[in-house]
Amino acid sequence: MTTCFHCALPLTRIDRYQVEIDGVWRPVCCPGCKAVAELIRDSGMTNYYAMRENPLPGVVRPADTNDDWQVYDRDDMLAAYATRVGDAAEATIYVGAMYCAACSWLIESTLTNVAGIEIVEVSPVTHQLRVRFDPDRIRLGGILSNLAHLGYKPQPLAYDNASRPELVEQRTALKRLMVASLGMMQVTMFAVALYAGEFQGIDARMQRFLRLVSFVVTTPVVLYSARPFFSAAWRGIVSRVPGMDLPVALAIGAAYVASVYAMMTNGPAVWFDSVTMFVFFLTLGRFLEMRARHRAIDRSTALTSMLPNTATRLDGDTRRIVPVSQLVAGDRLLIRPGESIPADGVLVDGETTLDEALLTGETVPRPKAPGDIVAAGSINLDGMIRIRVENTGADTVLGTISRLSERARYSRPAFVQLADRIASYIVVALLVIAAAVATYWHFNAPERAFVITLSVLVVTCPCALALATPAAFAAAGTRLADLRLLVTNGNAIEALARATCVLFDKTGTLTRGVPVIVSTQVFNQSIDAQDCLKIAAALETVSTHPIASAFVVGDDPAAPADQQLVIGRGVAGTIDGRRWKLGTHDFVVGGESRSAVDESSTTSVYLGAAGRALAVFHLADEIRPDAQNTLQRLRGLGLKNALVSGDSAAPVRRVADALSITPYHFGCSPADKLTIIRTLQDQGETVAMVGDGINDAPVLAGADVSIAPSHGALLAQTSADVIMLGDSLAPVATAVRMARKTMRVVRQNLAWAIVYNATALPLAALGHVPPWAAAIGMSASSLIVVLNALRLTRYD
Amino acid sequence: MTVLYILIPLGLLLLGGAVWAFFWAVGSGQFDDLDTPAVRVIMDDDDKPDAGKDT
Repeated sequence: MTTCFHCALPLTRIDRYQVEIDGVWRPVCCPGCKAVAELIRDSGMTNYYAMRENPLPGVVRPADTNDDWQVYDRDDMLAAYATRVGDAAEATIYVGAMYCAACSWLIESTLTNVAGIEIVEVSPVTHQLRVRFDPDRIRLGGILSNLAHLGYKPQPLAYDNASRPELVEQRTALKRLMVASLGMMQVTMFAVALYAGEFQGIDARMQRFLRLVSFVVTTPVVLYSARPFFSAAWRGIVSRVPGMDLPVALAIGAAYVASVYAMMTNGPAVWFDSVTMFVFFLTLGRFLEMRARHRAIDRSTALTSMLPNTATRLDGDTRRIVPVSQLVAGDRLLIRPGESIPADGVLVDGETTLDEALLTGETVPRPKAPGDIVAAGSINLDGMIRIRVENTGADTVLGTISRLSERARYSRPAFVQLADRIASYIVVALLVIAAAVATYWHFNAPERAFVITLSVLVVTCPCALALATPAAFAAAGTRLADLRLLVTNGNAIEALARATCVLFDKTGTLTRGVPVIVSTQVFNQSIDAQDCLKIAAALETVSTHPIASAFVVGDDPAAPADQQLVIGRGVAGTIDGRRWKLGTHDFVVGGESRSAVDESSTTSVYLGAAGRALAVFHLADEIRPDAQNTLQRLRGLGLKNALVSGDSAAPVRRVADALSITPYHFGCSPADKLTIIRTLQDQGETVAMVGDGINDAPVLAGADVSIAPSHGALLAQTSADVIMLGDSLAPVATAVRMARKTMRVVRQNLAWAIVYNATALPLAALGHVPPWAAAIGMSASSLIVVLNALRLTRYD
Repeated sequence: MTVLYILIPLGLLLLGGAVWAFFWAVGSGQFDDLDTPAVRVIMDDDDKPDAGKDT
């Protein structure tokens, strides 16, 4: 399918808007993308298109907001959002819709050329921009509108960049990794000398010295780099849910303490090299995992990016544009058609329909009259309204849902992984065995007791066991990212492999979430369906209603004369001297007002003239082309399917029948969906939930594993374990297959580690394994585990 | 071989210096962006705005 050159959304027609870039005419989807692409070209930044990663469809599409950046030119805004640095001012701006390194290059290069801007620093990790500028030459509003013109969604932040949790985490992780890697290299160097000494003989003083410097280098690695493992292991013990970190911490701690003891008593061998290498590989794994997580999770956008930046406040009779952050309960706001509602409130004046898809998942807009409650984040479609603010920010419905999903995430019972359970049992067993071996040799050959006990401890060090799962998961994560799947939660792969039942949301998941015409019925012989469609398309040019997008025909239709829009009912206009009406049956034939939506599986839109209906268009949400295939592949993998939707019975039944999904549930609130999941879980099913939309976020968090399409609401992504990049359902089946393969590799790794330990243990316990051979055996067994895991990176 | 007793501590001192410098660099924000520097070198900054239009 042809996609927009700028934002990668699928195009219905390629000749409507085009941009010439590097001598080639590129199709774009809308005037917004056209403007941005032209701006990028005219600033000599076409490299951006060559360098960027494939964008998620729609992410960089410029928003159709009427945000008025001039409000930020005021001096009180400068004081609120910028700090003075000498003569200059410094501000931190959150840049929404930025997604890769090319974006930060584009922003930096563009802003640096703007007069008055001194320093520009963009962080793709936090999506934040630190800008230092001369407030006498450029105002904050000018910087923001520059960003908005590039298609980004800027939002000035009132807090300091450096305190961002992601940034702090990344900095700490980098330091830990660097200490571990430098320490590992140094200690390995000393270890080579020590091992060589084992064979060739080494001066006793030199041996003691090398052990001492190894100790000096290893200590910060253990105390600083490995600290997260110790604290996590301790938390596991305290909460009585021993995690993966317990055996890791025990292995590191035991090997370190044993080495220190051997160093002080001039024992036969030290294992500082093994300790540092172990810490380094684990820290590296954690670091890469953290980077993937930061890329996927963008918590700060979840709430704010769905709300507009500014609102029009009515202070008596004067209209004043204020930042949304300054709204308080009791404010009266003016909302124009096409704007989104900035805060929860009550409609006091005017009539309109609101698109609440973000909150309820409903594709059908709701009519609203004075006295009705309006929720932040919904989009005002067709009427100018006034509202009284009741709740703002985190107190809004949107904020509450976001909190709810946070809570659901934390209340999820911590899943104890297979590897964890086995590894922790084995660690305990090994400690018991080592104690028994020590006791036995203490009574039979006291002079050999310590060496043999150490050999037992080292040769059976559960390194391979501890690495078996994370190495496979890291490799699988890399491969899945290649396959356009982002894993944000370590438990996801394991849960996905166990999944027995896949629950699908309807709107935006199995369907595209936009209405299309499924059938046209013409009542009168004098006109054919194609002409009806053309007339309808012309009439709909005035409408911003989602239904209007269904009426797209070959040519750009000329707008009819004398256009009229009747909220919640339809549109009218004069074409070639004839008065046409398009909308509900009653609107077209002239009767009492009735709801725009009937309860059948489709929405019917009538076209008529002079009080007579000539044709009816049946609109329905289109099922994704790859939905059928994906469901078949999932069934082939032995997974049950089910459909849960907040939509009404008829459309849900239509989709369920078309894809032969049973069972299906309709009219479900988020709480109902959660109950369905709990019931299935009580029946012993492992539930994977595929869905998007904010209202699904708590549901996604309640499932054993959750998958969200990336075009879904951002918040759903933050609580989803797996995020599908790209506009396709097929990765769901791929993810399940990959997860199962990963678990097979994990089991092979665990089996190998157990077999190795089971063979090496008796040999070492009987005193046949010298410590150096034990160390080699331990490293080799770990290496085999890692190599086996790396096979996953080539799996397809 | 006695020279090792001096050279190794000297090496450790250098190592400590390197770690200190790295910590300072991380703390001053030089490593906050790990993605852009990798591609920055292959981006041409010499495309002048409106190149090929005015000339």
